Amino acid sequence: MTVPAIELRNLEKSFGLAKIIQGVNLKIEKGERHAVIGPNGAGKSTLFNLITGRFAPTSGGVYLHGEDVSGLQPFEINRRGLSRSFQITNIFPNMTVFENIRCGLLWTMGYKYSFWHMINGQRDVTEKAEQILEEINLTARRDLLAGTLAYAEQRALEIGITIAGGADIILLDEPCAGMSHSETDLIVDLIRKVTEDKTLMIVEHDMGVIFDLADKISVLVYGEIIESDVPDAVRASAKVKEAYLGTTLEEEDA
Amino acid sequence: MNTASKTQAMSNPDRRLISLSNLLPWAFAALFLLCLPLVFQSSAALTIMNQMAITIVFALSYNMLLGQGGMLSFGHAVYMGLGGFFAMHVMNMVEYDGLWLPLPLLPVVGGLFGMAFAFLIGSFSTRRAGTVFAMISLGVGELIAACSIIIVVFFGGEEGISGDRTMGPEVFGFDFAAQSEVYYLTVIWLLVATALMYLFSRTPIGRIANAVRDNEERAEFLGYSQRRVRWMSFIASGFFAGVAGSLFAINFEILTEENLNLATSGSILLITFLGGVGFFIGPIIGAIVFTLLQTVLGLYTEIWSLYLGILFVACVMFFPGGFAGIIAMHRRPLALGKLNLLVGPYLKVAIPAITSVLSLAAILEISFHKRHSFGDDHEMSLYGITFNSDGYQALALTVVIAAISLFLVSRILPSIKAAWDEANHAGDAQ
Repeated sequence: MTVPAIELRNLEKSFGLAKIIQGVNLKIEKGERHAVIGPNGAGKSTLFNLITGRFAPTSGGVYLHGEDVSGLQPFEINRRGLSRSFQITNIFPNMTVFENIRCGLLWTMGYKYSFWHMINGQRDVTEKAEQILEEINLTARRDLLAGTLAYAEQRALEIGITIAGGADIILLDEPCAGMSHSETDLIVDLIRKVTEDKTLMIVEHDMGVIFDLADKISVLVYGEIIESDVPDAVRASAKVKEAYLGTTLEEEDA
Repeated sequence: MNTASKTQAMSNPDRRLISLSNLLPWAFAALFLLCLPLVFQSSAALTIMNQMAITIVFALSYNMLLGQGGMLSFGHAVYMGLGGFFAMHVMNMVEYDGLWLPLPLLPVVGGLFGMAFAFLIGSFSTRRAGTVFAMISLGVGELIAACSIIIVVFFGGEEGISGDRTMGPEVFGFDFAAQSEVYYLTVIWLLVATALMYLFSRTPIGRIANAVRDNEERAEFLGYSQRRVRWMSFIASGFFAGVAGSLFAINFEILTEENLNLATSGSILLITFLGGVGFFIGPIIGAIVFTLLQTVLGLYTEIWSLYLGILFVACVMFFPGGFAGIIAMHRRPLALGKLNLLVGPYLKVAIPAITSVLSLAAILEISFHKRHSFGDDHEMSLYGITFNSDGYQALALTVVIAAISLFLVSRILPSIKAAWDEANHAGDAQ
């Protein structure tokens, strides 16, 4: 039995009286592409924020490769090999595209808080950053300020920053939100390419993307996982249909 | 393979750590600074230039916080002041206790003290950026300023503390009694400190400081503790503030409460912002302009700080990039080869613009003179014209001139706007 890459045990989160996450149990195996779906306000983003340390859980635990990380700061969790993107584009708008990627590289390439290296002289970093730019198709935008890029390009850049550090667990929060069909196709190809051999957890509203990418799907409704299975089983599930298509009150009460 | 290695070899010169094109501005600046005293030989001019150099170092260290680290400090004078006070005590130890320390090394001592103090204060103040940081810096600034009156042993009370820089061991035959010798000491430190701060901005920690400034949360998710990054910038900034303080101690041989109070902290913010926080060179321009305004304008008018205030407000409202930002705005027209399109409109607006500035200043000066002149002394002179400030003729005339010139400026502005758009437009005429 291998240790799961991500394990959530009885995870709960309340904001005041509102219970947003109510006892989530989930195991994501190494190398798995796991999607989380659910209606608006189900707590998907909150779940991400709990796993990545943006919020501390009210109770329960988050385990990365078997190690309890609940309550740690985001940077400490990142150093344990987890990296994430955000639902609302989160980049460094006043730095160039190249520098954005380079910032994603510095920690894991061992430069940390160094003030004795000249950054432009480090050829290993420059080459790696250029290689990532090539992968996300932004080589032509290398020296532009990131804030001036088109929306779809900013989303691609965000994925680039997220994967740059070489984390083996990647969490993507709605990477395709607000994109056209053709842009979505490009991003999905990109995600597939850059997360090869890595554990991926993704929140997305676009069902096409989900069923295309995911090995397993969890359905989150009102802070609880009501179904977690392979795509075909989730598609067939009565509970999921209920949650998504809506049901009459009588049925729910029954 | 062969072609690949060839292109790599060709692009290699750009990747050298220090290329000739990077070194050239520094060499030029050094040469310029070393030759300056040949032109300006008077002791007053040397004092102004020293003052400028000290302000540049201080402003650059401030911009490590504001421009590069996103930390708005209202109490940066604390680190310069404490570094200076400590340097002064060491200078006195050299004089009275026979401590062996050549004067040129004194800024290292003051810098280390500023750094140690920044280490202490930064340990809690850098936890958050934004309002929290700003408020703590204000509180610490007020605290230290209050201490400087209370702790007389260290700060010397209201008179401050003074010393004699010439009592240390001679360095290559210099005892630093002459102003010109102090000038060279100050300028060498200016160059060294500026180069070090520039290099700091190009290290991994320097770049991550920019990242934390831009988006602290994203930086955390890349493995960096925002607090640690800010703290390290803060410590480095404290060192250079301490260096500036020591240079002040060497130059003026006296430090008082004024060196670390909130007014000094406020003016360094003003200087840095005027110069432009977004550019490394910004604080340098700001410090030069400010010192010139303070000393030269101060000779002619009592209300120079009013003009400075107006300039600051205008800068914040219309040119948030500061002087350096205005220069940088012209890079695109220059790159497009269309800078010449702007020369004509600029010349056209220059005369009415200068007239309106001068006449508005005249309104302020005449009003000020009316309120503050003694008894029957109504004679005043302005721009070389002597006239009677009593009565309303002079005031009325300046108001009319101001109104006409402002009207002309407003008529010319649209054509400048059009020329500006054209100059920034790639390709042929629109």
